[in-house]
Amino acid sequence: MKARTRNWAAVVSIASTTTALLAGCGQTQSGNTANGSAAIAPKQNTVSTNVVAPTHLVNYSNASGSIVWAESFTTGPVAKQLVAAFEKKYPKIKVTMQVQPSSTDTNRADLTATISGGSSTPDVYMGDVIWPAQFAHAQLAAPLSDYLPKSFWNRFSNGLVQGATYNGKVYAAPLFADTAFLYYRKDLLQKYHLPVPTTWEQVKSEAATIVKKGGAKYGFVWQGADYEGLTCDFDEYLADAGGSVLTNGKASLNTPAANKALSFMRSLITSGVTPKTVDTFQEPQSENVFTQGQAVFLRNWSYAWSDSQNPTSSKVVGKVGVTALPTFAGHGSSGYSTVGGWDLYLNPHTKDLAAALQFIDWMTSPQAQEILAANSEMPTIKAVANSPTLKKYSPVFALLPKVKFVSRPSQTPQYPSVSKAIYDNVNEALAGSVSVSTALKNANSQINSAQSGSGSGGL
Amino acid sequence: MAMEAASTGKKERRSGILQRTDVRAGWGLLTPAGIVILAVTIFPIVYSLFMSFNNIQLTTNGFQFTFTGLQNYKDVYSAPLFWHSVGFTIYYSVITVAVELFFGLLIALAIQNVERLKSISIIVMLIPWALITVISAQMWGYIYNGVYGVLNAILQGLHIIHTQVNWLGQPFTAVVSLMIADIWKTTPFVVIILLSGLQMIPKDYYEAALIDGANAWQSFWNVTFPQLRGSIALAGLFRILQAFGIFDLPFVLTQGGPGTTTTSLAMLGEETLFTNLHFGLGAAVAISTVILILGACLIFLSAFRGMVGEEAQ
Repeated sequence: MKARTRNWAAVVSIASTTTALLAGCGQTQSGNTANGSAAIAPKQNTVSTNVVAPTHLVNYSNASGSIVWAESFTTGPVAKQLVAAFEKKYPKIKVTMQVQPSSTDTNRADLTATISGGSSTPDVYMGDVIWPAQFAHAQLAAPLSDYLPKSFWNRFSNGLVQGATYNGKVYAAPLFADTAFLYYRKDLLQKYHLPVPTTWEQVKSEAATIVKKGGAKYGFVWQGADYEGLTCDFDEYLADAGGSVLTNGKASLNTPAANKALSFMRSLITSGVTPKTVDTFQEPQSENVFTQGQAVFLRNWSYAWSDSQNPTSSKVVGKVGVTALPTFAGHGSSGYSTVGGWDLYLNPHTKDLAAALQFIDWMTSPQAQEILAANSEMPTIKAVANSPTLKKYSPVFALLPKVKFVSRPSQTPQYPSVSKAIYDNVNEALAGSVSVSTALKNANSQINSAQSGSGSGGL
Repeated sequence: MAMEAASTGKKERRSGILQRTDVRAGWGLLTPAGIVILAVTIFPIVYSLFMSFNNIQLTTNGFQFTFTGLQNYKDVYSAPLFWHSVGFTIYYSVITVAVELFFGLLIALAIQNVERLKSISIIVMLIPWALITVISAQMWGYIYNGVYGVLNAILQGLHIIHTQVNWLGQPFTAVVSLMIADIWKTTPFVVIILLSGLQMIPKDYYEAALIDGANAWQSFWNVTFPQLRGSIALAGLFRILQAFGIFDLPFVLTQGGPGTTTTSLAMLGEETLFTNLHFGLGAAVAISTVILILGACLIFLSAFRGMVGEEAQ
């Protein structure tokens, strides 16, 4: 189980977006379902409309000094490449890298302890896309939009800035994005004369057929463990079924759409298409079953492509195809994929504001974003994300125009409790210890009490 | 001691002053340790207690406290999840500690009676305890894994089960699986304490028992067990203190699931504090856990004394 540690980080809490965000990852007011597809112009906000004007505009063009950057790539040369390129271009600024824990939750605990203790370093840190509301609320992140000109935010693909906004101010600069795809065994589909599925029903029936004929041990593997990743998987089925976690700020999981989504997930297990142990699978476990050649289909993030093509860990090199996630029959041509990724945050106690801003500015410039793309990270700025040469880095980039995006309801500082209400109950239903309707009823009431942000909902 | 000895000569003449010097020196010697204990034990406990009575907001100027009295405790105690965690933690601790004491005693007696390779046996026995828990938990993860797990492979090979069992993904088997991993990990700790206790029992007692015609069971029941009482109580206490704080095993193996089945108090506290950033509520969970552990220790001690105390005399 090699699981690049960075994957862990990028994914435990989840991953991101990009090019096709242009197609509209505009979040609805409820903060949940994104609209649009490549062919449709975004229905919602354009990028900078909701950003308030800066209050303390900082001119950092001549910045000098020394800053500490807490990075969560943890492996691979990406962070070093970025810092080297930055220091070459801005020799007056020295960047020290501080490697963070690879587990997203441990990373958050570490940053919280450091920054709430008043430390001025790290000046800039990487954080999950679902952190802005919580970090803004706890004043662990400085409002970048107070210091940067309004025009700064125009560079990003649509929807991304919205995700980093809390009460009208932007607290993070999108660094790289990620989202989920359906990986399939093209050799098996060919052998049994089956098409690449575009609906969930098709995934289920094709997987059942291939397993029955002995083509593979398992049909379809995904992430069903009791953690943030399950919220992502569930949100996708939910959006495909036409539902959303919140409607007008209130939990809306007591709906037929939610029932359809969770019933389908559970039916994957009861029908034998998905192994029942999926309720203990995080990304590495599900990916491992697939790369060992034991499963026909895999739902995973963009990095699974390069993992599946790595001959030292994968037995299915050259046999894998990748496509946009399917949807339920009659719900369009492709399904929703969860928005994930990592942002750059500014420590409110930084002693070198100008240098830190210069660093953030450069990290979201075409030069830095090209370095990220070359390392298979999805760029967040339009200039690189929309470039036709992007696909040369990974075939998943070519699929982005087809992808529809769904954001998790992370616009509330209580998001961790909201998400826990989802994954705890969904996980229980997957294990079969409670019924689908009971799980959804419990999730619904726990989300509402979590959102109140006080009382026992805080547990 | 050394100081006292050095000063005895002068004591007869100017005892008052010297005693004061002794006292001062004594405090001086105590101070460093006292400061350390104050800083790493007393202060955090008092501070947690203080936090648990406040609503805490993080700001750029640090924590902002608003005194709310018992509100955090009311909130915690009205949450079903808290009581579920209390129930799980107690259930888990009582069973694992009891089984560990039982096996620990058996293994200690066995090792005590090993003639050759005694030190090798002790070293081998200690391996589970010496491994870092998150690492051995990861190993148990491979054993229990429902798809490529070793346990399923063995049981299927022996035709004991026919379909794969989802050990960590079902409530009952998840709890039992955690318990087994815990017992495997910490029984050696109990063995070590009991072994040292066994070695302190004078040989004469056994000889006397032998002369009186006691069989093996009688000499165990009338000599070994009463003499071992203190060690068993010690091992039990240490284990209760640790078991009630169980965190790493479920954190790695089940993340508290399925659902919230294996969410221990320590996991709940950690999540409330560091994921949800509700410091007041988290402190209330932590303080409640401390009270529960103290209570459990007292109950264990008095129950243990009631059970074997009189006989031992």
